[in-house]
Amino acid sequence: MAFDEMKAPQGGVRSSYRAYENWLLSIAPDTLPRKHAQADELFRRIGITFNVYGDQEGTERLIPFDPIPRVLSASEWSRVESGCIQRVRALNAFLGDIYHGQEILRAGIIPRERILANGFYRPEMQDLDVARDVYVHVAGIDVVRVGADEFYVLEDNLRTPSGVSYMLENRAMMMRLFPDLFALHRVRPVDHYPDLLLKALRTVPPAECDGEPTVVVLTPGYYNSAYFEHAFLAEQMGVELVEGRDLFVDDGKVWMRTTRGPKRVDVIYRRLDDDFLDPLAFRPDSSLGVPGLLSVYRAGGVTLANAIGTGVADDKATYIHVPDMIRFYLGEEPILPNVPTWKLENPDDRAHVLEHLGELVVKEVHGSGGYGMLVGPTATKAQIEEFRAKIVAAPASYIAQPTLALSTCPTLVDQGIAPRHVDLRPFVLSGEQVALVPGGLTRVALKEGSLVVNSSQGGGTKDTWVLEDDAC
Amino acid sequence: MLSRTADHLYWMSRYMERAENIARFLDVANRLSLSGGARDACWRPVLTIGGGEPGYASGQGEVTPVGVIAYAVLDGANGSSMLSCLRAARENAHAVRSVIPSELWESINATWLDAKTITGARLREQGLVAFCDWVKDRSHLFRGATYGTMMRDEAFHFTRMGTFIERADNTARLLGVRAQGVTADTRDADPAEQLHWAAVLRSVSAYKAYRTLYRDGLSPAGVADLLILRDDMPRSLHACLDKIAVDLQALCASCECTRMAGGLHAELHFGRLASILGGGLDGAVNSFIDRNNQLAAQIHADFLMGV
Repeated sequence: MAFDEMKAPQGGVRSSYRAYENWLLSIAPDTLPRKHAQADELFRRIGITFNVYGDQEGTERLIPFDPIPRVLSASEWSRVESGCIQRVRALNAFLGDIYHGQEILRAGIIPRERILANGFYRPEMQDLDVARDVYVHVAGIDVVRVGADEFYVLEDNLRTPSGVSYMLENRAMMMRLFPDLFALHRVRPVDHYPDLLLKALRTVPPAECDGEPTVVVLTPGYYNSAYFEHAFLAEQMGVELVEGRDLFVDDGKVWMRTTRGPKRVDVIYRRLDDDFLDPLAFRPDSSLGVPGLLSVYRAGGVTLANAIGTGVADDKATYIHVPDMIRFYLGEEPILPNVPTWKLENPDDRAHVLEHLGELVVKEVHGSGGYGMLVGPTATKAQIEEFRAKIVAAPASYIAQPTLALSTCPTLVDQGIAPRHVDLRPFVLSGEQVALVPGGLTRVALKEGSLVVNSSQGGGTKDTWVLEDDAC
Repeated sequence: MLSRTADHLYWMSRYMERAENIARFLDVANRLSLSGGARDACWRPVLTIGGGEPGYASGQGEVTPVGVIAYAVLDGANGSSMLSCLRAARENAHAVRSVIPSELWESINATWLDAKTITGARLREQGLVAFCDWVKDRSHLFRGATYGTMMRDEAFHFTRMGTFIERADNTARLLGVRAQGVTADTRDADPAEQLHWAAVLRSVSAYKAYRTLYRDGLSPAGVADLLILRDDMPRSLHACLDKIAVDLQALCASCECTRMAGGLHAELHFGRLASILGGGLDGAVNSFIDRNNQLAAQIHADFLMGV
């Protein structure tokens, strides 16, 4: 049995859910389904949709929203919060190090070839100084829970993590649907996230910038799966939402085309992958980027957030070393541990994993979004054999982890309320300081027994409540 | 503001206005056909006004009410069908949703979500008039949300300009349907003509205004006066140019497009009907449509193309 966020193992409910349960018992049985339908209708009207690649028919879909909140007590949150801050500080230090002196490689803590031969390592970044030594301005740290006091970091997302708009819209929706619940709980607010983000971006102007930096959000365009979020964040921060074609490089600076002529741009919060940023430097076929952007960046004429080349730190092969990074750079013990991980290039690990494929989770080292992964206990024989062949062919491309019994949270399904597995993605902002809003995006696997919470794989989301004080 | 953003705002409102005006054109055709007008005389103008005659002819051939309605309302291949316009308005709005008020976006998005479910069968069941009324309602809502919620900044001016450039064009085209031979002295009209001009007035909600303002009977010259020169008639060419000139003045007083709009506006503001219709209403209409297009092209060159 997985740990349940609401039900206490010895019967009854856990204290953070006590007020919620009383409320649940007091409402009419059709309240939740009714509110659920209302939420769907509202989300559709607001146009909070999510584009699914390779899905012709449903190119704009809603991410299913669950009306039952995921509740964290103040002390549970404070642990997750400090663990995430610690982790992001270490990851930023790591990126600064490998793109400069490479102390951690010299010390033999991480094998040199693992970093330098990694496809996400960007030689263009070597010896380049970035503002305040911040590489990862926005990080999404995926945290899972398996017991009352057992939290693990499952994955770091350090490139262009998405989902924060759902965190904000889910809260707005819950307040609209259930105002009475917010009167019964002291839920810590999250809606200052755009302010924090803008503040962080303003504290990292490029070297060549005088006066207030001009910040923009760079989107691949409105066919991108996360376009809604790009537009949402630009709107909330009150900055321009630009596409590559709106920007150009001239005189060593980046400019945007406006109705009143060119305007200088200083900080680009880009939601475009490294490969597409500059057709002159990376993929020549990219029409989404800005020709010459890299040269301006290297000359200190513009800040990119996140920096180029952060993928080398969130790769699943690098993930294994994050606890060591925390010890190496910060001299601290990790507050949030990693999930134990087998490296499949290591013969002993591989033999063990191949023997136990039916019990383990196998992930592609460079994969994301829940694609290219095997969940042993729910996989078919054929799927297991397919992965066995893949692992034998290219062991270094895979890692394996035990199948964690992710905690469950009561969720509204067709048959009523039932437990479903959840994770949590808090968003960590780095500028002058490292900060996050209390909460994050709780993703929920809507299929019974499923452990895959990714929205591209049929996952849904919940509002995440961090309570002000521990209930007594 | 980004040039691309301005472009999206401008086209968002142009397409919404166009959808509304197609509803108005269909309304004229429908009224005339119910009053016993000849089929071709009633329905062909919907195609000519919208510039869709060649496209229609290649797909459908003979002009029939069902064919014209299907083409002007539903046909996705017709870029100026009502559905195509509503889709384009929504796509443009989608691209600038971070700039426009959420109420405005939600109204456009909801309009499109409803509109895209319409089929020939549903249109028959609902009736053409009810559907056209619905489109007009949605367009009113769009304009109301624009006017009631947008900051009076550049975004607002570009949005408004799109509305009035499009409306001026559409009103001119509407006037052009039976314009041949009409001058400032055309005070009489035969019964069929009477029906036509009454339908034109009703389609732009100007029938009552006409009756109040012009004591003598319905005349082509009177309708032309009302829809070209009266600045208190919100769909007249003069009223549209009033708005365009103000918006352009606010955006860029020294731009070429502002000068052009000022010139066009002055002619409508100070001109007399007799001289404007000197070459006939059809000549006046064609000349206006050309100059309005030139103005639109200059607006593009001055603001929307960027550097």
